[in-house]
Amino acid sequence: MTMTSASIHDNALEKPKRDWVLVALWATLALIALIWVAPFVFIVFTSLKSNAAVMSSSAFAPPVDPKFANYSGAWDRGRFNTTFFNSVIITAIKVPLGLFISAMAAYALAKITFTGRKMLLLAILFGTMIPFQVMLAPLFTLVNSLHLIDTYPGVILPYLAFGIPYQVFILQSFFRGIPKELSEAARIDGASHFVIFRRIFLPVSLPVLAALLILDFVSTWNEFAMALVLLQDRDMWTLPLGLSAFQGQFSRDYGQLNAAIVMTVLPAAIVYLIFQRYFVSGLTSGAVKG
Amino acid sequence: MSTVQIRDARKFYGAHPVLHGVDIDIADGEFVILVGPSGCGKSTLLRMVAGLESITGGTISIDGRVVNGLEPKDRDIAMVFQNYALYPQMTVAQNMGFALELAGTAKDEIKRKVDYAAGILGLEPLLQRKPAQLSGGQRQRVAMGRAIVRDPKVFLFDEPLSNLDAKLRVKMRAEIKALHQRLKTTIVYVTHDQIEAMTMADKIVVMQGGQIEQIGTPLDLYDHPKNMFVAGFLGSPAMNFLEGVVVGHEDSACLDLGDAGRVPLAGRVRQAAGKRVIVGIRPEAIAIADTGGIPAEVLVVEPTGSETHLAVRLGGQEIVVVLRSRVSLAAGERVCLSLETASFHVFDSDTGERLQDG
Repeated sequence: MTMTSASIHDNALEKPKRDWVLVALWATLALIALIWVAPFVFIVFTSLKSNAAVMSSSAFAPPVDPKFANYSGAWDRGRFNTTFFNSVIITAIKVPLGLFISAMAAYALAKITFTGRKMLLLAILFGTMIPFQVMLAPLFTLVNSLHLIDTYPGVILPYLAFGIPYQVFILQSFFRGIPKELSEAARIDGASHFVIFRRIFLPVSLPVLAALLILDFVSTWNEFAMALVLLQDRDMWTLPLGLSAFQGQFSRDYGQLNAAIVMTVLPAAIVYLIFQRYFVSGLTSGAVKG
Repeated sequence: MSTVQIRDARKFYGAHPVLHGVDIDIADGEFVILVGPSGCGKSTLLRMVAGLESITGGTISIDGRVVNGLEPKDRDIAMVFQNYALYPQMTVAQNMGFALELAGTAKDEIKRKVDYAAGILGLEPLLQRKPAQLSGGQRQRVAMGRAIVRDPKVFLFDEPLSNLDAKLRVKMRAEIKALHQRLKTTIVYVTHDQIEAMTMADKIVVMQGGQIEQIGTPLDLYDHPKNMFVAGFLGSPAMNFLEGVVVGHEDSACLDLGDAGRVPLAGRVRQAAGKRVIVGIRPEAIAIADTGGIPAEVLVVEPTGSETHLAVRLGGQEIVVVLRSRVSLAAGERVCLSLETASFHVFDSDTGERLQDG
């Protein structure tokens, strides 16, 4: 059987069939995105409404007369001058320091052979299994006995203690996946363990470090329970504690409350946007054949 | 001067022995290839020379200095890995200059050395690229460049060509050999590919089960294998082995192959009649006889262009014949084979060790 050139041409021009599975997947994705973004839209809209407007309009109705004064009101009422500053200090110290310590510990556990390595890893993993709520009372006693209540170290140190095991767990399994030839080549080139860690492993691990940084930033920034127990002086309060000032028994100002929530959430969103570009896969491609 | 001496080198992983006392002498500028099947301990031995594996027993000396306790960086060696192990976030130039940078070499000196190595390997246009932007062959060259820049006493290669496709492998084989002829640095090279060993080495060390089977020049091992393992490992297609019984004595000795008849062993073996032996015959030492010869049945015909490979059944045993000429044969046809008696290798059927002299 022969085919004329015209019929070949026609076949080539024929539209590819619509893939209904793909269409359904996209529709589901759009729906899920909508569900996720709905609370955020609700918060932003409400933050720009007066209390009366909140009561009289639908939750998802855009504000007719945007009330930006809610933000300045919330800033004062939540004492954001103080709480924002405290949150920045605590997060800016805890997050990078915790990641650095975790990464070094993970490197040692993954790449340096020493006796008791497995036991040490197990001990660290054990730390991820204890819910911190159980530890709140003993933690308070401990921090109090060290006279660190209402101080930055008093809250940063427990944050580090509860954050590091999880990060070590993630990072050491990532480091294990880095081909051993990379560190061996570096050893032959004359690199010490610290140089291998800093010059080879850290750059290769940027995507996972960025992911951990985002997660850790969000959880530290939003942490409430431990801060509530360990920071009793209002001048040491963090943002989430400041938010609680909006929850009076007889007063409800939904506009200001939501303005405060927006301001609290915003830094985390900005950090996410900055670091999400490091979520690129294949950063190790080209290192070894694979 | 850069010699390597390995004396009674042993390696245990826990109670499990991997190397059972290995002795190798490597002369200055020699290209030595450790070859053997997977798990024979060749890579472990190389890594022990590099300092990446501890040495359980024995000594390894480089240039007369025992290096057992030395860190890899202090052994003055450079290693090329099977998977290249290039630093992914660094450019080609940074990869090549990393060791010098760590050693505190001046920047212009690093640049001069990197440019020199890049010149040898044709890497100049790629110096600012990252490893991910290079092809397999180019990455392999960068890995070699990284080794050359350091100007070490000994180059160590751990199966450097295994990840390349067949054509590129042949090309890189020639490049590495040319590089050795140019630099004249001592090379210890590990491979499981006997063709790489045969084509590149000054000296081959055949290993099996953590032991050395034989050491010698490629052609020496090819012509005078010490045992059946070495005989079967080197050469492609592999040597044929025919089992039979010695009949007669001295000059009148023959090998009785059973159904296939008898082959003269004149002067090739000094074994008593009745002894069971295995005769090794290289595929190229068998020809199709015009008259006489041993009858055989053709099983498969594989023309490669330059030669023709025949799989034939001789008596009850299957063997391979390599013919330099083109033949028009088909499976199922019967042919008569003439065996080149002078190139027989006779082995003890129990121990696999070589029997005859010379």
